[in-house]
Amino acid sequence: MPDSGEGTDTPARATPVEIATLGDTAPVAGGGTPLLSWLRRWWPQRLSSRIVVIFLGLLLVVQLTGLALVQWSIDRNAHSQLDQDLEIGERIWHRLLVQRASKLALGATVLAADYGFRAAAASDDTDTLRSALDNHGQRIGATVTAMLKPDLTPRAGGESVDPAALQALAPLAPALARQGNALALLGGQPFQLVMVPMKAPQLVGYIVMGFPLDQMLIDDMHAISGLDVALLMHQAGQAERVAVSTLSTAMTDVLLQHPGERQVVMPGFSSAHVVRRIDHPGSTSAEAAGMRTVLLRSLDDAIAPYHPLKTTLAGLTLLGLLVAGAASVFTARRVTTPLRSLVHATEQMGRGDYSQALMHVERPDEIGELSRAFEQMRVSISSHEGAIRRLAYWDRLTGLPNRAQFRDEVKKAIAASAAAADEAGQVRPLAVVMLDLDRFKHVNDVLGYAFGDRLLQGVAERLLRLSVREGDLVARLSGDEFALLLQGADQQAALAVAERVADVFQLPMTMDDHTVDLAAGFGVACWPTHASDADTLINRAEVAMYSAKRKTGSAQVYDPAIDAGSSRSLSLLSELRHAVENDELRLFLQPKLALDGAQPGRFIGAEALVRWQHPTRGMVPPMEFIPFAEQTGFVRHLTLWMLQAVAQEWPALQRLGLTSVSVNLSTRDLLDQELPAKIERIQRRHGMPARAMCLEITESAIMEEPQRALATLNALSAAGFKLSIDDFGTGYSSLAYLKRLPVNELKIDRSFVMAMEKDADDAKIVRSTIDLAHNLGLTVVAEGVENSTVLRLLGELQCDEAQGYHMSRPLPVAEMAAFAARWNAQPTATEAAGA
Amino acid sequence: MKSPVVAHHTTPSRPLRRAAALLCLAALALPATAAVIEVTATGIDGKPLPETVVFLESREARAAARPLTAVEIEQDKRRFTTRVTVVPVGTEITFPNRDTVRHHVYSFSPAKNFELKLYAGKPANPVLFDKPGIAVLGCNIHDSMVAWVLVVETPYFGLADATGRVRLDNVPPGTYRLRSWHPAMAPGAPAMEEALVVTAAGAHPRLKLPLAASGL
Repeated sequence: MPDSGEGTDTPARATPVEIATLGDTAPVAGGGTPLLSWLRRWWPQRLSSRIVVIFLGLLLVVQLTGLALVQWSIDRNAHSQLDQDLEIGERIWHRLLVQRASKLALGATVLAADYGFRAAAASDDTDTLRSALDNHGQRIGATVTAMLKPDLTPRAGGESVDPAALQALAPLAPALARQGNALALLGGQPFQLVMVPMKAPQLVGYIVMGFPLDQMLIDDMHAISGLDVALLMHQAGQAERVAVSTLSTAMTDVLLQHPGERQVVMPGFSSAHVVRRIDHPGSTSAEAAGMRTVLLRSLDDAIAPYHPLKTTLAGLTLLGLLVAGAASVFTARRVTTPLRSLVHATEQMGRGDYSQALMHVERPDEIGELSRAFEQMRVSISSHEGAIRRLAYWDRLTGLPNRAQFRDEVKKAIAASAAAADEAGQVRPLAVVMLDLDRFKHVNDVLGYAFGDRLLQGVAERLLRLSVREGDLVARLSGDEFALLLQGADQQAALAVAERVADVFQLPMTMDDHTVDLAAGFGVACWPTHASDADTLINRAEVAMYSAKRKTGSAQVYDPAIDAGSSRSLSLLSELRHAVENDELRLFLQPKLALDGAQPGRFIGAEALVRWQHPTRGMVPPMEFIPFAEQTGFVRHLTLWMLQAVAQEWPALQRLGLTSVSVNLSTRDLLDQELPAKIERIQRRHGMPARAMCLEITESAIMEEPQRALATLNALSAAGFKLSIDDFGTGYSSLAYLKRLPVNELKIDRSFVMAMEKDADDAKIVRSTIDLAHNLGLTVVAEGVENSTVLRLLGELQCDEAQGYHMSRPLPVAEMAAFAARWNAQPTATEAAGA
Repeated sequence: MKSPVVAHHTTPSRPLRRAAALLCLAALALPATAAVIEVTATGIDGKPLPETVVFLESREARAAARPLTAVEIEQDKRRFTTRVTVVPVGTEITFPNRDTVRHHVYSFSPAKNFELKLYAGKPANPVLFDKPGIAVLGCNIHDSMVAWVLVVETPYFGLADATGRVRLDNVPPGTYRLRSWHPAMAPGAPAMEEALVVTAAGAHPRLKLPLAASGL
């Protein structure tokens, strides 16, 4: 049948976009570091999530970097601001001390010039002097007063001054004389000392006045500089302690616990205080003793002005993230929504639904391109699918549904009927009628395929015209096989339809000046009577049809009996194989007599037949396995086995006087190009001359594939084998055809021979055939000789050889010798032949 | 504060007393002659030291000392007109005020502790300097005013001129303590002292005071 060459579109080339790669694994290769595996675990699988994550991630990185930079620069600024503040603080502190010293010195100077004071100093009365010192010291707030001699040795202290403090003053005097003022610890308290000369009018000594460094001073300092101030002091062998400070006790404790550290975290503060320490050297004779001023300020304070900036920045960052998040979600949606609809569309196509047109084809971007490519693919696949569906379900030649659709329809019909079953379980039956044209192959061979095709179309038309009611279906199952689905038809109705069709088929068809007689075998199977499912139903209709064809009757309803053999078929094949391998086959021979020549009636040949000695079933008749073997092709093995067996027995047979043994070849054998070589090998191996091997071929076997059969026959003939046409007269071979066959012998079919005794026509056929054969130079063998009368008639008609039950039924090869002996000893045999 | 000069005389040692006796004899042996002593005072830098006070002490000299009369130390233009005044013990000094502002002249020195409370013109009473020593005078109103009064127990004293020279006339030959003082010396510092034998030919001692003359 011509293929669907009709111009189907070449498959549309879809743009090679692999969506799979979009959902691929994370783009990090190899590597088993925890970071990578973490990334892989948390890396989102969905494209949209990835776009959002990357978008936001990058933005976040930028924003955080910006924030970090701002924070860093704020910190740096705050630190440098603090450092600057502290440095300025130190200068302020120094200046404050200097100013205070100047002020104090000025006061002291004025006091020292006071006449009464000078008078007291001039007096040698130490008590007066001490009293005056106290008195005048109090005027300007000095709590420590002393007078030194011009050589800087102490002369007297104020009345309230501790003698020890006076002693402590002595070592400080030179420095005081140089600088005019100093910070010192006196009696464990910090003082600012000033020393001024006392002149009367010339230098008579020095007045030292000590002013306590008190809370007021550092409060002042705090007010001016905004810094916290602590005045620490330490003496030999003692821990540093706080003299005065603007800090709470808890804070000063922390300060003391971290000596020397530039940053200290104070209780109640989130950030550190930056600390600057100012040592005031040389306070006392003991080097270890001294004072130090600590200036400090909280980073919080320094950072505080930046808080609004930071809040604004954080707000902007958050806003940016929100906007970017929304934008990325929007973008991701714009990309992934169409992708998802594409995925949905392809899934739909995957399910075989090509009806939905794709969306987004109007978009100008890559998504649009992809969509258009998919759309093109969908249209293309859809049209392909249509074509495939037509090919799959419709027969192109006749326009009828094909086997697949027929099967589906039967299934549907069964399902529908089963579903519509009434309460009593009664269903509307249905039937399948199958028909197969007889000798269609022959028509094809002789009149050509084109004619054959038109014939099939004509048959289809007739079937449609004839049979179809509503719901019925006509289908062409294969070459010349048609089927009808008859809804609601029971066995009788189906059979009636089959017969009506068969009747119509009786009318010859005239096409292109050829008139063709149509004949067909009809098989009928019904549901639910014969089968419960569609496949079985069709099978059984087919079985019935083959049975009908065998019987040459027109219609046959399925009967489990005919199927008995078929049900055994499968096991039969394996059993046959087994039989060959296990030597269960037996060679039987049916003797052939010569009717003419020097010794008429002599035993000159035999036809080889196979019998199956089944271990359990006993002797299996040939009809039970030979047709099956032919059908399955196993017959070739049987043929080879026969040839082998015959060749093996040949020497013994030759001794009995046989000149040739006939072996039947089947259609399958004739189609085997290797057959001549195989036979030659067997024949040579056993030393059997080619001439002694007669190969019988039925007319129908040749007609099945005349060309190849002819080629094989020519080869066999050339190899010297004797060829015989079996069952001559039953087939339709033309004489013209027969003329071309390289055969040596005709075998007249038993039907004519058996009837020739009573039927004059048959006798004429036999006679004509013999004459024809002889005229063509062929010998003639008659088979089916069942009595001496026929044998005699054949002799009269100058038939060359005869075979039949009259002489002997087929015998096991072992009995041939006995038969030969018996036959040759029987005078009647020759007599009959001779007569 | 006690003057070391005074201390010498109040507690003389035995060998010194014997020597003093010998000197007295020598002085008595040459009563009619008198010598001229020219003293040159320089600083340690060798430059002449004006205002250097030079005086000779000895027992005979103390005996010969007589108070001066009509000694005045004026105040003019808020200054003492004479910065350094040398007087024998027992001299009375008046302090006339030539300024229109009042002055309050005082001294806390042990040699003479006194004060003349705010006055104008000539104070009623002079001040008697009856103890040897150095009195530093000041004004309580004007701290910059300063003057010194050296009260000596000898008639042989003098004040160096601008060239640092001092001429002492009519000094009987004998053995003296040559003493020298300068206002730039440390407050309260006693006069320098060295032995000087005076012959009829006089003497030309050169004194080198522990001062830098160029710095004054």
